[in-house]
Amino acid sequence: MTTPNPETEKDSIPFYPNHVKTELYVMIGIVVLAVIVGFLGLLFPVGLQAPSDPLNTPMHVKPEWYFLFLYQILKIIPPNILGIEGTAFGVVSIMAALVVVMLWPFFDKKEDSKKATWIRLAVTILGLILVIALTIWGEVS
Amino acid sequence: MTDSSRKKFIIGLAVMLVAGIVLIATAVHVQAMSTAVQAGEINWPLVEAALTNQPASGLAATIPPPKQEPCLSCHITGENKNLWTPLARWLVFGTFGLVFAFGVYRSASVWTQRKRWKPLTVRAAAWVDERYQISEPLSKILKKPVPKYALHWWYCLGGITAFLFVVQGLTGIMLAFYYKPTAAGAYASIQFIENEVRFGSAIRAIHSWAANGMIVICVAHMLRVFIMGAYKRPRELNWVSGVLLLILTLAFGFTGYLLPWDQRAFWATTVGTQIAGVIPAIGNLALVFLRVGWNVSEATLGRFYALHIIVIPLATVALMLVHFMMVRRLGVKKPL
Repeated sequence: MTTPNPETEKDSIPFYPNHVKTELYVMIGIVVLAVIVGFLGLLFPVGLQAPSDPLNTPMHVKPEWYFLFLYQILKIIPPNILGIEGTAFGVVSIMAALVVVMLWPFFDKKEDSKKATWIRLAVTILGLILVIALTIWGEVS
Repeated sequence: MTDSSRKKFIIGLAVMLVAGIVLIATAVHVQAMSTAVQAGEINWPLVEAALTNQPASGLAATIPPPKQEPCLSCHITGENKNLWTPLARWLVFGTFGLVFAFGVYRSASVWTQRKRWKPLTVRAAAWVDERYQISEPLSKILKKPVPKYALHWWYCLGGITAFLFVVQGLTGIMLAFYYKPTAAGAYASIQFIENEVRFGSAIRAIHSWAANGMIVICVAHMLRVFIMGAYKRPRELNWVSGVLLLILTLAFGFTGYLLPWDQRAFWATTVGTQIAGVIPAIGNLALVFLRVGWNVSEATLGRFYALHIIVIPLATVALMLVHFMMVRRLGVKKPL
């Protein structure tokens, strides 16, 4: 895996024009989708809520959906863990988890194998289920 | 060049010349007619009477309405299309004229030089290459082969994310033309975009939905790389830059969410920055940096706007270049 590109001729295609053409089709597809979304946006605009009012807190304040699972973790965390304030503990552990994810290649240095791929797939699916469950929980709560 | 083909060239030139004269005459005539009609110089009752062989009196009803005052801002608010009519006319006739002039030049030059015509694209490429000397390194990059397994759909996810970033850039520029990052103007300017600007709600819908889609596809790309183990040596730094790009994408979402300045935006940002405030040691610093003060205010809006349209995009473009260059250098990882 360390040798980057000794591909033989029959296993590879030229980057230009063949691969670029494929990417071009993908781009055209996205543009078509964007036009459809824009057309639907004319019929169903994104819309606005009431103008912002610092004196009037709404009942349910929620972040965007992609932050919702993190928000839900912070909400359900107990108020005091090991003598540290719960929210601070949660924020720090989320940031630590992010750092671990970012530096993951330096922790997982073993030669890759089929088995490791399956383990990673299982971990990904479990994590996704967890995140989706937390998001749904945050959405309905 | 043989005599017969030369004769054909002359005939072709003559035909194009006649066609051009007819075209220009038509254009001038149409322009003069429409000017006369708009200025009210044509006596419509007389025209009508002449066409129908009737007396001229009593036909005043066919007089067209007086010329409207041209409204230069109306292409935005959509009240009338006066500006577009002459623009479209100039575009059509101008295109015809350019094509005609090009045809004359091409025929004449082939005729005089007795050489095959070199396409304009080839000439332009040669002109640029003579000055920038770029074709050799560029073709080296472009000719580097891509393995066939890299054509599965899941290898497209990264490219889709990048293209969605371009879509966001373009629609974002369009929105920035009308958006005002002030407490008094933000909400009203979004309302203006939604209700008054032509296709404003479409552009805003694309920007909003593509933002959500970008996060979904970005995460999908990351999971694909993770599952296939493509982060392993020698691609560690590409994974790191990818995670940084994901963080930047989330930062795009977080800063962009405040910009409509409605209740949801205001309170989501209040809560979000509050969470930044509980980080031990640097919490208050982070909170004050994000809010520009202790509360979410107009200054917060200005800061988030600057982050959203200048700082984060520049950082994203720089990291994307690094990310792509490493992908091209190292190639796509062969699946197990």
